[in-house]
Formats: sequence, C-alpha cells, structure tokens
Amino acid sequence: MTRAFLSGMWIHVVQFSRNPFDLSGVILWPILYASIAYYLLDARNDPRLLLGASLGAAVMLMWSLVVIGSSNALENQRWLGTLELLVAAPVPFAVVIAPITVASGVVGGYALVATLAWGTLLFHVPLSIDQPVAFAVAVPACMLAIGMLGLVMASTFVLYRAAFSLGIALQYPVWIATGLLVPLSVLPTFVGRIGWFLGPYWGFRAIREAALGPTPWPDIGMCLVVSAAYFAVGATCLRWFVRVARSRGTLKLT
Amino acid sequence: MNALRIFVVGGLTSYRALFNWISPWVFIPHTLGYPVFEILFFAYLGRFANVQSDKFFLIGNAFMAIAITGFFGMGNAIGGERRSQTLSTLLASPANRFALFLGRAVPSICTGFLVAVLAFTICSFILDVHFAASELAGLAVAGAVSSFACTSFGLCLGSLGLRGRSVSLFADMIGGSMLLVSGANVPLERLPGWLRAISNIIPLTHGIAAGRGLAAGRSFAQVGHELGAEALVGGVYLVLGVAMLRLLEYEGRRSASLEAF
Repeated sequence: MTRAFLSGMWIHVVQFSRNPFDLSGVILWPILYASIAYYLLDARNDPRLLLGASLGAAVMLMWSLVVIGSSNALENQRWLGTLELLVAAPVPFAVVIAPITVASGVVGGYALVATLAWGTLLFHVPLSIDQPVAFAVAVPACMLAIGMLGLVMASTFVLYRAAFSLGIALQYPVWIATGLLVPLSVLPTFVGRIGWFLGPYWGFRAIREAALGPTPWPDIGMCLVVSAAYFAVGATCLRWFVRVARSRGTLKLT
Repeated sequence: MNALRIFVVGGLTSYRALFNWISPWVFIPHTLGYPVFEILFFAYLGRFANVQSDKFFLIGNAFMAIAITGFFGMGNAIGGERRSQTLSTLLASPANRFALFLGRAVPSICTGFLVAVLAFTICSFILDVHFAASELAGLAVAGAVSSFACTSFGLCLGSLGLRGRSVSLFADMIGGSMLLVSGANVPLERLPGWLRAISNIIPLTHGIAAGRGLAAGRSFAQVGHELGAEALVGGVYLVLGVAMLRLLEYEGRRSASLEAF
C-alpha cells in the first residue's frame, strides 16, 4: 500500500506538471490574490505583513488545487469510464484517491515559490525565513494536511455527479474560515472555531510561524494529527460511500 | 427567422439538458455560494486593510459574478461541444454560428444575472449595506450594460475553443485577472499606470465605475460617459468575437483540429 501511495503520488505530480498552460494557472492565481492584498494593504512599512499575505495566497491555491483536483479527478475517471475499474482494484480505494489529493497539494508548492518570488521581485517583500528547518518541514506538513482534507471531500464526491461544482463552491468558504488572507480577528468569532477543524488553518499557521513567528512546531504537529484524523475519516467514508454507490449502481453515471 | 429559431429552441434545449444533468436544487446553491463568499471575502479583506467601504466591494464583486457567467457562458458553449465530441458534427450543419452559440450562452448569462442579484441581496443584509430604490435601478442598468460587454468578450474567448482545448481554464484566468485589473477590489488609483491602461480597454471597469457612481447618488447624465464607454467596449468585442468565430472555424476545419481533445 505504501508503494501504491508513493508511486501514485509521483505519477500524479508528474502528470499535473506536464501541461505548461495548466501550470501557468497554478502560478497566476496566487500571484493575483497576493497582488490584491499588496495593493490593498499598501504596507510598505510592514514587510512581514506582506510576507504573511504571500504565504496565505500560496496556501489558498494549495486548497483550491486539492478541492478542485480531487473533485475533477473523480469526475474525469467517470468520464473516462475507469472509476469502476479503480473501485474494483484490490488496492483500497482510499490508497488510490489519496495520492491524487496529496499530489494536488504538492503541486501547490509551485504556487508558494511563484508567490514568494513575485513578492520579492516586484513588491520588495524581504524573503527572510526565521526558522528555515521548521519551514522545510512545515511546507510538506501543510501539503499533507490539505491533501488529506481533500481525501475526505473526495469521499463525498464518489456519490455525487456534480462534484466539480461542489469543489469550486468550497474554495472561498475555506479561505475565509482558515484566515489565509483575511485575519480571523476581523471575522465573527464562530468562524475561527470552524477553522480549527480544517487542515489549511493548521498548515498556514505552521508555515507562517516558521517564516515569521517563534513557535512553528506545535502547528506542524497539529498538521500531522489532523492528517491522520482525515485519513481515518476519509478512508471510512470512502469505503461506505463506494458501497452505497455500488448498491445503487451510480458509479458509472456521467 | 431560422437563426431566431436556432437561438431560442437550441438555447432552451441546451438549458433543459443542463438540469437533466444537475438538479436545480443543487445547481442554484452552488452557483450562489461562490459569489456570496467572494463578496464576503473581499469585503472583510477591505475592512482589514481599512480601504473603501463594504459597498465598494459589494458592488465590485456582484458585477464580477455577472462577468464570470458572460465569459463562461460563451466559452463553455463551444468547449462543451468539443468535450462531448459533437463539435465537428455541429459545425457541419448550416446553422448560423452566432445564433447557435449565443442561444446556448444567453440562458446561462440570465441565470448568472439572477444569481448576482441574489448574492448582492444576501450580502447587503449580511454586511448591513443599504440602497435606495433609485440606486438599485441604476445598478441594474449598469449591470445589464456590463453583462453585454462581458458576453461580447466571452464570445472572443469562446471562439478560441474552436482551436484550443483549455478555453475554460483561460477564461478562468482572465476572470481572475479581472478581480485585480477591473477595479472590482482594488481602487484604480492604487494600480500602476500600465495596469490602469489595460483596465480602460477591458469590459467591466467602466460598468463598475458607473454602478458605483449611481449607487452613490449620481444621475445617469453624470455617469453617462462611463456607461457609454462600457457599451463601446462591448460593441468592439462583439465585432471582434464574430470575426474570430468565423476565422477560427475556418482554421479549425483547415487544420482538422476540431476533434482534438
């Protein structure tokens, strides 16, 4: 199963990286959001605020890639007629789907590099990482936490023909609830509580704390905890929903 | 007359087919959820940055919702045929292309307009922003003109679907760029000169400016130049879009690329 997961993830990362046009979208979107934040904040005297905005914009795109990627991946399998074959394969379905969602998060790494480079070159955001080692650990931990939340989302998409629409609709709510670009302090209190249950919240905190703050390790730990929880929930839901879809005969519906 | 029939019957059939694929009870909340949360996201970002009022972001992003359906309505009308491998069959028919594809796009654009109105209303309550009836009427006029301009621009994007595969992604990127360049979320005076120059020749910029002017209590005479500029931009893109539709269909036939997916 480990081999299936790792090789699956590698294949999907390579596949997602094949089309330069698709990658241009991966790079453009976080740059756009970061630019909006730069122009709105106009915080030339507070470069740390701009660096935080760059990191937030990159994590925003990671989530978008994961939620759209996981919904689109299942829809693609449906259109290609391979969803049934994957379900029937001896490898657990969660181990087939998890590499797709985690690979989407890994591709978000391009966004992180692009946003930081954009901010540094055009807006003179100083690229000073307080704890480089923690940052190097926080980035993959963030990718994993977001990717595993994508697995939970993907499990519901098995039942759902219009999965792609749902994926698109879930972008902004999670961006808001996890405080990626808009601080939770300006939002109603209950919104911040929702963020505690979401991987991007802990992933962003881990990366931001590694770059700007003193204590990234608790947040990195939380990334791993929520990742494990998401995997358990996702795998269970996936098994259950696949059983329901098989009994209803809806796997093949396009 | 035949073109009108294709426009109406083809459009209605295509729209009904959409709801065969997805339930309206699923479609509407999803379509509505995106603009509602987009408005809230930028309104709260504006509050944090202490830039402009909630009204500024509410109007800008409600217009964005109208624009997106204009772009995608046309883009997907052609891209969807390519995806379902029916584009070459469709183009073998003698039907008027403009009527054919516009008929498919118009119901989506009307839905988008309705969704934008609903999102605007919901967010007005959430953000506690109020408008007078005359201001709302002005916004509706500015929205209609912007919708025309964005649909015309969408025709240009959609025609690219006769030659390319990733038109939806391209339309998505253009739509995203509008968040920044059109003045929907960043006051134009904060943008560098070259971005302001681009904003003048794209749809939506003048429509948003007119809408904000009308919502601020200005008269139609005072914002007439902005509405006129938006209509002019839309007219230019309409002519360009029709020309591109013909040229790229010819190129698609010549290079046998209509079935490439």
